[in-house]
Amino acid sequence: MTVSQRAAFFDETFLRRLEQLELASRRLTAGRMKGERRSVRRGQSVEFADYRTYATGDDLRQLDWNAYARLEKLFVKLFVEEEDVTVHILVDASRSMDYGEPNKLDAARRAAAALGYLGLASMDRVSVAFLGDGTATAMRPMRGKRRAAELFSFLAEPRTDRLTGLASAARSYASRMRGTGPLLLISDLMDPGYLDALRDLAGTRCQLSVLHLLAPDEIEPDVPPDARLVDHETGHAVEVSGDDDLVDRYRTRLAEWQGEISAFVARRGGAYVTVASDLDLADLLFDVLRRRRVVE
Amino acid sequence: MIVPLALLGLVALPIIVAFYMLRLRRRDVPVGSTFLWQQLIRDVEANAPWQRLRFSWLLLVQLLIALIVVIAATRPFVASQTDLAANVVLIVDTSASMATTTGEEDRMALARERARAVVDRLPQGGRITVVATSDTANVLVSETDDRAAALDAIDGITATQRPGDLTDAFALSSALAARDSDSTIVVVTDAAGDDLPDVGVGAPVVVERVGTTDVNQAVAALSALRRAGGAQLDLFVAVANPSEASATRRLEVYADGELVDARELTIPAGERSEAIISTVPAATAVVEARLAGEDALETDDRAFAIVPAEATTRALLVGPGNTYLENALALLPRLELYAVDADGFEDAMTEAEEAGTPYGLVVFDGVVPAETPELPTLFLDPGTDGPFGTVDGRLSGPAIDRTDPNDPILRFVDLSTVHIGRARDLTLADGLRPVVATPAGAPLVAVGDADGQRTAVIGFALAESDLPLQVAFPLLMSNLVDHLLPAAEGILPSSMRLGEAIGVPVEDGVERVRVAMADPDGGPPGEGVELPVIGGTVTIPGADRVGIRTLSTIPADGGDGTVLGETAINLFSPDESDVAPGDATRIVEMGRVVGGAGPAPQPTRTEWWWPLALAALVLLAVEWLLFHRPTRRSLARAIGRRPQPLGGRAR
Repeated sequence: MTVSQRAAFFDETFLRRLEQLELASRRLTAGRMKGERRSVRRGQSVEFADYRTYATGDDLRQLDWNAYARLEKLFVKLFVEEEDVTVHILVDASRSMDYGEPNKLDAARRAAAALGYLGLASMDRVSVAFLGDGTATAMRPMRGKRRAAELFSFLAEPRTDRLTGLASAARSYASRMRGTGPLLLISDLMDPGYLDALRDLAGTRCQLSVLHLLAPDEIEPDVPPDARLVDHETGHAVEVSGDDDLVDRYRTRLAEWQGEISAFVARRGGAYVTVASDLDLADLLFDVLRRRRVVE
Repeated sequence: MIVPLALLGLVALPIIVAFYMLRLRRRDVPVGSTFLWQQLIRDVEANAPWQRLRFSWLLLVQLLIALIVVIAATRPFVASQTDLAANVVLIVDTSASMATTTGEEDRMALARERARAVVDRLPQGGRITVVATSDTANVLVSETDDRAAALDAIDGITATQRPGDLTDAFALSSALAARDSDSTIVVVTDAAGDDLPDVGVGAPVVVERVGTTDVNQAVAALSALRRAGGAQLDLFVAVANPSEASATRRLEVYADGELVDARELTIPAGERSEAIISTVPAATAVVEARLAGEDALETDDRAFAIVPAEATTRALLVGPGNTYLENALALLPRLELYAVDADGFEDAMTEAEEAGTPYGLVVFDGVVPAETPELPTLFLDPGTDGPFGTVDGRLSGPAIDRTDPNDPILRFVDLSTVHIGRARDLTLADGLRPVVATPAGAPLVAVGDADGQRTAVIGFALAESDLPLQVAFPLLMSNLVDHLLPAAEGILPSSMRLGEAIGVPVEDGVERVRVAMADPDGGPPGEGVELPVIGGTVTIPGADRVGIRTLSTIPADGGDGTVLGETAINLFSPDESDVAPGDATRIVEMGRVVGGAGPAPQPTRTEWWWPLALAALVLLAVEWLLFHRPTRRSLARAIGRRPQPLGGRAR
């Protein structure tokens, strides 16, 4: 896939369909600019939220004079302020992602592009980053559909990262991130530090959604008898002897692992979705993620 | 086991096991990450050259294959004894009686089965010669140790319609056995009435006798005679019943393929019934006698006869008159006999010429004309020199030397009781050969060509001999007339036996002839075989089946040839028609008796490595399947479920 091809991820029809969706924000977030989302801050808006006893320094324009007339007490009207949110999309760009048929990284780029466009279309700030080589390569946060081309271009950039260092990359991003909102991590999590990474990202007050992306042959391995399995990322080899039991044990272990991640993310109020790289993108967005309330 | 050294191959077993314990060079398979796999594998022996032997079906199958191959390589065998020597001559009788087939018995199939059993009984390293024999021997494989070739040859043996004669086969066997003292001759035969040759064989003879049935009847003789001027033919038929029970058979007579007569004949056991049938139209060319229904041997249930041509020859007997001679000549249906004395000879010849009815044969009894007519001529007791040679005087009381029974002039003629008082002392002209002579070589009866004419001479007066009183006389006269007047049908005898070969002279200018067998059921004749004419003579090989055989020329321009002659081919063999299995000891006794107790038993080995080899092949297939056993994923790939890339449908 060339850069120009990657830049044009989707056609117009698909983009129009995408615009009907919106990234869910289960927690009300505090933003910096007026956006299209309800903020936890009470502010100048048309949507009434509550009353509060006047305190010195409050904006006199906010006093409810009708209440004062009836009760002879000063109350300040509080409004829900609609604020913008920042959508964080993190794509694991390690070598282990550059594997599979279809390629996991390509699938991750497409998913990130679709989800990023969703954010831009909702006038949210969108921050996209690749996690690789122990660091996070992020583009400047952007807003508005006009920036879509820029987003796609960034996502289409070829990556040459070799090692993930998922934990340090996640920590690096978490420490620099600005603004809260949905945080989507698209990764195969095939890294010893995956739990640390998840812990760091969950601790950012963002709403964490993990898209656990696996190639079909990682879900259903086809291992010949007496094979030497060579790690695409590290080059490390593991020798296996072909017996049916081994593949069964792999499946069991994979299920356990996914269960562990799911429980870990759920405890931190996040969403966990398992995605195969051969899954259709429309199915992912309009069906899988919708059911899991990642988008709405 | 024949090759115990092959057991060394068992060292392959621990080697195979060692290979399994050795850390194999495994196939590299790229995976996205070994993250999960590492948690599954406890690879504590990562750097050790050996690993713990784990159970594997593959190992088990491979060990089994190796074991079987080693055992097969030792060529295991079952030892047994055989009565056969290392060199075996197997003679399979294919004479007509071997074609005996009844509901329960297929004699030739039985013979093949026995012959195959002989091959199986061959001692280890034994050689075998397979000879199929009817009246001639045919070597199918010679001194081979290739049992498959011998079995193939045996499978191809079929019964012929020819009479049986073991002479050739035994002569051949004798020659083969003479080369190797350790020989056995095995004869697979029904021993049915075979006329055994008077030869001894320098090796033990083992007879595998086949056959049980004796129920057979045969057309034993068929002869058609034309009565002068008659509207019907006289047909003489004899039906023989060599079996041990009397039988009633329906005899059908066909004239040129049309049924003209049918009658039931009851034939007592071991006898023959004869019938003279006078219902055959005179215009018939070929007569067939057929026994309706089925019996053990089909070949002898039909017989054919060619009806002699209607034309008769006017014969002139010149002499003082001899009743015996006149009667004998008058009886011959071919002759229309006229007689004159010596003085009337020339007038008679002239009158016949003028009347347009010339004579075809002249018989001079005691007369030699001054000028011999240009006709076939028979001289009796010539007083002076003639075209036959010169007369040098008289012989008194000449004895008759042993005669050649195969001479056609002496066919059926027994001269052993004939006495001659006086005879002319003849010196034969060139072109004549003596048929009967004295021990000193003086000819008494001679035939041949003199001055381009067929000529015969009897060197004594009938009145000075007792020949006219004997049965031999009319037969001799008939044979002499047959020689002087060759059959009008052509150059072939009217009837021949199956397998009988003949050399016949053909006219100048004919270079190739064709011999074809007419379909006895009336269909078109077969292509036949082409034969070259060498030195004016063509040698016709014996026929293989009953029917009418035609000899015709092959013109150089490719047109239709002219028919030179026809002959009826019949079995007419009492020996072959008697299908009852004979006495095998007669044949056994022809062989050399070893120590009075028959051939000494020889050890033989039956190898059984091939089922092992077969099992190894099957196991090899199982091993391949085990190695390449399909996984669920490869099966899914095979049925064409291709994964779709994420987002692919949106593009």
